[in-house]
Amino acid sequence: MAEKELIAALAKAAGLERAWAAFPDDVTAAAEQALGHAAALSDADEPGDEPWPPMRVETAW
Amino acid sequence: MVSGLAWLSAAEAGRRIAARALSPVELTRALLERIAALDPKLHVFIRLDADAALEAARAAEKEIAAGRWRGPLHGIPVGIKDIIDVGGLPTTCHSKILLDNVARADAAAVARLRQAGAIVLGKVATHEFAIGGPSFDLPFPPARNPWNPAHHPGGSSSGSGAGVAAGLFPLALGTDTGGSVRNPASCCGIVGLKPTYGLVSRRGVFPLSFTLDHVGPMSRTVADNALLLEAIAGFDPADPGSAPARADGFAREIGAGVQGLRVGFVRHFHERDMEAHPEAAAALDEAARLLAAEGAEVRTVTLPPLGEFAAVNRIILTSEAFAIHARWLRERPGDYGKLARRRLLPGAFVSAGTFVTAQRWRRKMIAAVQAVLREVDVLMCASSMDPASRIEDEAETLRTYPRQARTPFNVTGHPAIAMMAGLSRSGLPLSVQFVGRYFEEARVYRVAAAFERAAGWQERRPDV
Repeated sequence: MAEKELIAALAKAAGLERAWAAFPDDVTAAAEQALGHAAALSDADEPGDEPWPPMRVETAW
Repeated sequence: MVSGLAWLSAAEAGRRIAARALSPVELTRALLERIAALDPKLHVFIRLDADAALEAARAAEKEIAAGRWRGPLHGIPVGIKDIIDVGGLPTTCHSKILLDNVARADAAAVARLRQAGAIVLGKVATHEFAIGGPSFDLPFPPARNPWNPAHHPGGSSSGSGAGVAAGLFPLALGTDTGGSVRNPASCCGIVGLKPTYGLVSRRGVFPLSFTLDHVGPMSRTVADNALLLEAIAGFDPADPGSAPARADGFAREIGAGVQGLRVGFVRHFHERDMEAHPEAAAALDEAARLLAAEGAEVRTVTLPPLGEFAAVNRIILTSEAFAIHARWLRERPGDYGKLARRRLLPGAFVSAGTFVTAQRWRRKMIAAVQAVLREVDVLMCASSMDPASRIEDEAETLRTYPRQARTPFNVTGHPAIAMMAGLSRSGLPLSVQFVGRYFEEARVYRVAAAFERAAGWQERRPDV
């Protein structure tokens, strides 16, 4: 699938048909930004590395 | 006389008001005159509420005359960023999307300010939804930098920074998700604090990113900043992120100096990770020299690379922001300005796995900063890597805006203050940032105040 078609499909899946139709350059730039941010992060070192914040039932509302 | 009152610190104005040597009405009128003269070129205000401000000033005057002085902010005018609710006024978020959104009640921070007797002047400019700016395709023009109106004032708390720097009000509230209090503080040569996450309630503040958002005080002096924080900090059960921590005594160390304090200088942020403008780098070296001369032990320390902090911040920010804006982005994408649309849409393309990976790295980054803060009392590092660019130079603004070292402390939640550390040859402010342990704002203020006294930059005023 070409990159443009892939972004269009992802935009549609996110419910962004109107944005894609009216502002394809903005949607494309946004998708590229998201990919760039993700590429800047490597996977966590260990399978057991926990996310922040930890689940704390005593502070759940 | 107007000019003299405009440059009074909040602390000094408060002392004169308490001694009945200055009337809150006189002070408010003087600032309203200055706003009338300067706002047409600085575009600080979205909504000036002059009548209500004067009414509140008259009420303050009567209370004080009757012996009911509320404290050092009684009768002191403040500006409020227009993503923070002021009951009865629109919270537009500088956006067409919310032009008719009238707040039903004050935000928690505003309510606390009113309890302290402060005078709300009105709502001031922001980047659209605290992310899209500086922009010229919004219902209101962008605020401009008082040091040179051809340049941007930083953002997203742009009106707060420009207004404080221009002497339109001595204090303002801003918000900070990726540096939005500290950026205008850096660009406008004032003092801006991002408190510890949870110290100031976010209730009544339009969210950008729930786990990164902070409400922060902005002022021309460190002491004023502490006064404002004292008024707005405190536990709020209506904010799920609010911390049940001690929220007073922030000014208790301000005069203590830095003799014997250990200051960790994060040089790699601006020397290796993101090379700063030479004048910005020289200002940081001079700040380190001044603190050492005042008796601090300045040592070089290492944190994770700036690029990793920035990636974690952006993944979390855009994911949470998209969740907040998804309905409008789907139904009304054309009602956003271009920059906000481009900066809010990436969250639609972040996978769940990437978001969780960012949260796992966030935990590691918190641990890394905590480990260094066990070895030193405060951190010192760059805030902005460059002086503010020309506001209409879109390419240069897009290039320089992300060149900053503020996002790490939104990711970790540590308190961080940005303040003036010099003037560029072109006459624009340069900056430094100090970072403390959780809930040790008093220590951050102590170092910032010592630097302020040694450097003397707070005495400089833009020629507006």
